[in-house]
Amino acid sequence: MSATVPTRKPPTATDADAPVFSVSGLWKVFGPKAERVPADAELTALDPADLRARTGCTAAVRDVSFDVRKGEVFVVMGLSGSGKSTLVRCLTRLIEPTAGTIAIDGEDVRAMDKTRLRELRRHRAAMVFQHFGLLPHRTVLDNVAYGLEIQGIGRAERRARAAEVVKKVGLEGMEQRRPSQLSGGQRQRVGLARALAVDPEVLLFDEPFSALDPLIRRDMQDEVARLHREEGRTMVFITHDLAEALKLGDRIALMRDGKVVQLGTPEEIVGSPADDYVREFVRDVPREQVMTVRTAMRPAASDEDGGPAVRPDATVAEAIEAVARAGAPARVMDEGRCLGVVDHERLLDVVAGVTDLPSSTPEAV
Amino acid sequence: MAALTVSAARGATPKMLRSRAAGKLLLLALLTAVLLPVLGRWGNGAWPHELTVSLAKPLTSASNWVIDNRDSHPLFLYFFGYISNAVVLCVRAVYLTLLALGWTGVTVLGALVAWRVAGVRLAAGTAAAFLACGALGMWVPTMQTLALMVAAVLASVLVGVLLGLAAGLSDRLDRALRPVLDTMQVLPAFAYLLPVVLVFGIGVPAAVLATVVYAAPPMARLTSLGLRGADPEVLEAVESLGATRRQRLLTARIPLARGELLLGLNQTIMMALSMAVIASVIGAGGLGDRVYQALASVDVGQALAAGIPIVLLAIVLDRVTAAAGEDRRAQTALTAPPGTPRTIGWVYALAVTAAVALAARLLHGLNWPTGWTLGIAAPVNSAVDWMTAHLYSGVPVIGGTADWAGHFTTWVLDPVRGGLQWLPWWSVLLIVAALAWLIGTWATAVTAVLAMAAIGVLGVWDPALDTLSQVLAAVAVTLVLGFATGIAAARSDRVDRALRPVLDVFQTMPQFVYLIPVVALFGVGRAPAVAAAVVYALPAVVRITAQGLRQVDPAALESARSLGATGRQQLWQVQLPLARRSLLLAVNQGVVLVLAVVIIGGLVGGGALGYNVAFGLAQGDLATGLVAGAAIVCLGLMLDRVTQPTERRATKGA
Repeated sequence: MSATVPTRKPPTATDADAPVFSVSGLWKVFGPKAERVPADAELTALDPADLRARTGCTAAVRDVSFDVRKGEVFVVMGLSGSGKSTLVRCLTRLIEPTAGTIAIDGEDVRAMDKTRLRELRRHRAAMVFQHFGLLPHRTVLDNVAYGLEIQGIGRAERRARAAEVVKKVGLEGMEQRRPSQLSGGQRQRVGLARALAVDPEVLLFDEPFSALDPLIRRDMQDEVARLHREEGRTMVFITHDLAEALKLGDRIALMRDGKVVQLGTPEEIVGSPADDYVREFVRDVPREQVMTVRTAMRPAASDEDGGPAVRPDATVAEAIEAVARAGAPARVMDEGRCLGVVDHERLLDVVAGVTDLPSSTPEAV
Repeated sequence: MAALTVSAARGATPKMLRSRAAGKLLLLALLTAVLLPVLGRWGNGAWPHELTVSLAKPLTSASNWVIDNRDSHPLFLYFFGYISNAVVLCVRAVYLTLLALGWTGVTVLGALVAWRVAGVRLAAGTAAAFLACGALGMWVPTMQTLALMVAAVLASVLVGVLLGLAAGLSDRLDRALRPVLDTMQVLPAFAYLLPVVLVFGIGVPAAVLATVVYAAPPMARLTSLGLRGADPEVLEAVESLGATRRQRLLTARIPLARGELLLGLNQTIMMALSMAVIASVIGAGGLGDRVYQALASVDVGQALAAGIPIVLLAIVLDRVTAAAGEDRRAQTALTAPPGTPRTIGWVYALAVTAAVALAARLLHGLNWPTGWTLGIAAPVNSAVDWMTAHLYSGVPVIGGTADWAGHFTTWVLDPVRGGLQWLPWWSVLLIVAALAWLIGTWATAVTAVLAMAAIGVLGVWDPALDTLSQVLAAVAVTLVLGFATGIAAARSDRVDRALRPVLDVFQTMPQFVYLIPVVALFGVGRAPAVAAAVVYALPAVVRITAQGLRQVDPAALESARSLGATGRQQLWQVQLPLARRSLLLAVNQGVVLVLAVVIIGGLVGGGALGYNVAFGLAQGDLATGLVAGAAIVCLGLMLDRVTQPTERRATKGA
């Protein structure tokens, strides 16, 4: 398998698991008397400009519902102003939602009192910020240990635990430096380590890499992918970068003007865009690196039992290589069973984007 | 044809109205035209007598009541009395400690502290400064001033930090405090003296409290600014980790505000020194008192002998506290492991100090050795005498300094004062309104007019206009010199480098000190007061001008250069217009600083409001002094509002 092709890993957990975060009908409206907007059917129907003209309010998040499953990387993606950063802050009530329900492991977040909410922030969900949010007067080690200090853990223990995490994110030897002495990528590693140090159930990322250089960004993405592979921690990842979303996400929620316009696997988003906005968005995506042969294959004819074998979740790019090498159609094999066949024609259709793919059923929203 | 002219006229009117300045002026002219018949009823000269309210009687009776009841009324016995006693006790304790350390102990302690926070060079400077104070025969007054300052700074920092914390954490308190602190910042130090004297009488408690009132605002402002200026994402990150409010304050907000807090400490110390010296007028002993007494008898030599320690103290305190701020910041950037304990140094310093003090005590060397003083008063006075004889007048071609002062008074100050006092009172108000509205907003204009009118109502219209004439003359000179120097410093790095140390020194000196050289040069009168004001305000104006010009967007300048603009064209068409905000700020600062010194100039023959205050204090005639003090406050308010650019308001609101 060629190393340069970013292969999507299979979802690490079974779908049967209960969701970690369960969000439904979530609204966040900024402005005077914001609470009336979600309640009023007439106002909810307005588009953003009309809503602002009518009420002076801005709806940053409009009627958003989704579940985050245990162990998955759930990406919320959208352009700036689409409400994605507000959405992730609503999850731990750093921004107080206007309406709707949020549950973590079945527990109602909006009903939590101060102590309970603090408990949630301290132990269950930790966040990584776009501009790192490090304390400039503390060393790397003390920054990483900060979350533990807040919890009231003694100095020796928190430092020992922090040192472990610092090692895990590859900052060994820099424990005594200050944030101002680190590069952008290193600072974000500190931010990541600080979130990891409290051993949270969920990691929340708010555009963590958009302030970094492209090369360092790729390093950090690989780092996150590695951490996810090793620990299987649930992650909610906010980004405006489609490539990043496709690379990291098990599932992607694409937001526009506060609404989720499509929610699905990367393949579904690229393969069957829900509307013109999404289609325009994914137009330049190299489809052969996202689509799998499962969607590209056709039923095998009875005489096709030769040729190379590929897994059903192999990307089209991989299949192209296999077909080109063999000079014959490839069989899609799953546990010894032949599911179908991909040939030159089908693969080319995918690359050209002319296939009328069977529209995958959108997942329950 | 007719139709054409009509349409032309119609086109012209909105255009004129669209220009906001013209519109404002038009509206004001209309208003005047309507009001003139009413206002004209009271005459066209100075402020009409019918519109004044005499406060002399109630104020005198109030002050008499205070004097009569100071020893019996419970308010004084159980509240002000305790404050007063606490202040006296505190100052006394510090003073005795300083004396117990002896001159060697104080010098060593000062040097070690400076070494600890600012390095070897400043330590040597500090030691040299203390030794110079002793050598000038001013050791005891220096310790008195230092004791008063230590007490005042401690109280100011405590009050300032508490107010700043309140304003930094509560939006409502911030909105309430900010205008008060802003206004306190622009008022001349002299205005703070009288109210405390009314309550506490002349003496050390009044001096300390006036100093605290004057020096606490910068600490409060900067504390609040530091708390509010913290990076919001850091605070959000701290909150996202589940920090309580207290944890957030102690582990994030206060440490993040460290730079502002140290800057506030620096400013508070500098303002406390400045005020501790001025407060000699109300009974603070020490260096200021020596200067005051010497100036009263025009003994320049003595004044200088007491003035030099003030300047040295100011420079040392400023450099050491400023270095403390920078040091911390630099430390964060150093690779040196911060684990190395800094406290051992302090313990060491204290131990050495104690050892030296003990040794001095055993050797009976606590007091400054009498033989070691350097009497500079006599030589300085003979030099001044020589100057009086040779430079005051009759120097061929250039004239003499006294001639200059006389000419300045005759040709500039007198005509300006005459002109102002000749103007009908309502037209003065109108001019104030027009200026304030053109530069600022209608709100600043209303405040300015009300403040000016209040001066008239208080019945000190003429002396206030006298003060105003001195301020205007001084501001004009300051701006001409300041802008010219500022432009030169902005355009040439060499000039900038040469000017910087001079400006640094001048900006740290207390206002009072500036009176000494001008009295030596120009004698007493209004001209020296103006000269002192110019010298005092010049550094700030130069600095703001140069900074404003240097901060002009380099891209704009580059594009002008690429179009082939000459140096002069760049200056007039790009730099000056783009630096407009800084220039206005320079004018504002210039006016505020000039006023402060012109008022103090009342002590050296400047007359007008400053003299009234000094007279009131000296004669125990608090009514005169308080009215003059209130007029000074109004004048300061008016001058600040008239020169307050709109943008400054806007940025402050943000």
